Amino acid sequence: MTAAESTIHVDALSKTFRVPVREAGLRAAAKSLVHREHKDVRAVEAVSFEIQAGEVVGFLGPNGAGKTTTLKMLAGLLYPTSGVVRVLGHVPSRRESVFLRQITMVMGNRNQLQWDLPALDSYELIRAIYRLPAEQFRETRDAFIELLDLGDQIRKPVRNLSLGERMKAEFVGALLHRPGVLYLDEPTIGLDVTMQKRIRSFVAEYNQQYGATVLLTSHYMADVEALCKRVIVIHHGRILFDGGLADLAARFDSTKTIGVTLRDGVADLSPYGDVIGTEDGKSTLRVPRADAPRITSRLLADLDVADLTIEDPPIEDVIELVFADASRAVDEARTAESAASPR
Amino acid sequence: MPTRGGPLRTLRLFWVFFRVGAMNELQYRANFIVQIFQSAIALGTGLAVLALVFSQTGELNGWTHAELLAVMGVHFLMGGIIGMAIQPNMERLMDDVRRGTLDFTLTKPDDSQVLVSVREFRIWRAVDVVIGAGVLAYAVSQLQTGITVADPFVFALALLLGALMIYCFWLILTTGAFWVVRMDQIAELFEGVYQSGRWPVTIYPGWLAISLTYLVPVAFAVTVPAEALTGRLTVETLALAAGFAIALLAFTRWFWRFGLKHYSGASA
Repeated sequence: MTAAESTIHVDALSKTFRVPVREAGLRAAAKSLVHREHKDVRAVEAVSFEIQAGEVVGFLGPNGAGKTTTLKMLAGLLYPTSGVVRVLGHVPSRRESVFLRQITMVMGNRNQLQWDLPALDSYELIRAIYRLPAEQFRETRDAFIELLDLGDQIRKPVRNLSLGERMKAEFVGALLHRPGVLYLDEPTIGLDVTMQKRIRSFVAEYNQQYGATVLLTSHYMADVEALCKRVIVIHHGRILFDGGLADLAARFDSTKTIGVTLRDGVADLSPYGDVIGTEDGKSTLRVPRADAPRITSRLLADLDVADLTIEDPPIEDVIELVFADASRAVDEARTAESAASPR
Repeated sequence: MPTRGGPLRTLRLFWVFFRVGAMNELQYRANFIVQIFQSAIALGTGLAVLALVFSQTGELNGWTHAELLAVMGVHFLMGGIIGMAIQPNMERLMDDVRRGTLDFTLTKPDDSQVLVSVREFRIWRAVDVVIGAGVLAYAVSQLQTGITVADPFVFALALLLGALMIYCFWLILTTGAFWVVRMDQIAELFEGVYQSGRWPVTIYPGWLAISLTYLVPVAFAVTVPAEALTGRLTVETLALAAGFAIALLAFTRWFWRFGLKHYSGASA
């Protein structure tokens, strides 16, 4: 790897799947046995980004946006249709042993630990595959077990563990070889809030201790907010945004939220902005970002204000807005495309 | 087999998986009882059919009672090996492809073909190996012709080649799961064809004997090793078995890699 190259280098990466298509119904099913029609689905289109060593990057997008496909190409599981991927200086799809030793993949909805064995036994198998020296293995394993507060759970067959415990045990197994690049695909899916926090702090700790690079997909914005300074938003296989989490709001949502509590109860605040809610005497207003300072000073001048807050809208709302915008843009582009090339 | 780290490494991995798997399965004694029961029934039926055949005739297409008993012993023995070490791995592989968990194996820094071939071991099927060996030993003691010192070694070699070919056959079919994803009936299909190996394939009509030799290598897995102990095996046949095994291994290797390129995984 040259000194200048990023840990993850992706340039104009595309992946097209060929999938069989058929109409619903028996007749169509019978027809497809003989003559199968295919359709090209562009899962990832000309995606480019760089990720530096030690960065934790959130990979956001709705279901089917191409997140998992991209992760799989970065892990060497899928061959790209076109474009360039280099991770730690290696071409992932070559699946060289030196490369694979330095990465790991955690998928929230799938297990790598053997169902009927205690996690402890699965760790032994992992140790054999990675050929880890006994001492390093034991040290890492015990430290992670301690950090995740797993205790005796690792002696029970994995099938007897709760979802949260299983995920913790999965993380230990996935990181035993101390990889430098982590691909985490929905690692907290289905977990309760406490467990999510536990996993998050573990990932943060691992990232700090080993300087690991982390690429995370999650539908829980709390994960992203807690771990990622930078996010890449992907939709319909294309990158919509790549930058700081805070900039995402500034770029896509042109509003701010002002929370106002009045000393003498509730007043009609609609002249100042969109009232989006009133709760326990606190009214919430949505106002244009640029007007926020002016409106705030007017509120303070006109009314007897007990408490006032100015916030960015919740990140979930911003993301929703981004996707709504993007879908509209894509639809418009497709309409224009089909108008330009009539078949 | 071409692997990273060579055959020794493969054996070591196999041993680790075997140890962990066996240790755990030993906790489930009910499986042992069920297996003994199943094997006893299969043995009883096999012996009864043989007795029935030989109550009508002195020999079957040149094979005496003791010789056919030897074939049955090898059939049991090989069936045990397949059920113990080959089939469980292939079923797990199919399952992994369907559920998308093969991704974990493919991101491991070891030869993926080796990994998917050594992960599962059904220790109780060793019952069939023991029964098969017992039947075979008895059959050999009943042979009129007797055996030479070299025969057991040639037999072991033929058995190994046969097992390798069956492994290749299974892996080629299972690799098909990369394209069609669901291949649930393979096990039944194989079981059905394998049953025909209870008899020497030479008693079947030509087209069937050829299919059972080259399409599904039952002949190489059962008949050829049995021939080694009954003074029938020629050097040419053994050389053919070795050549076919090597060719099949090479093809399987190529096909596995080809399949991996087309593997798209179960999407999340």
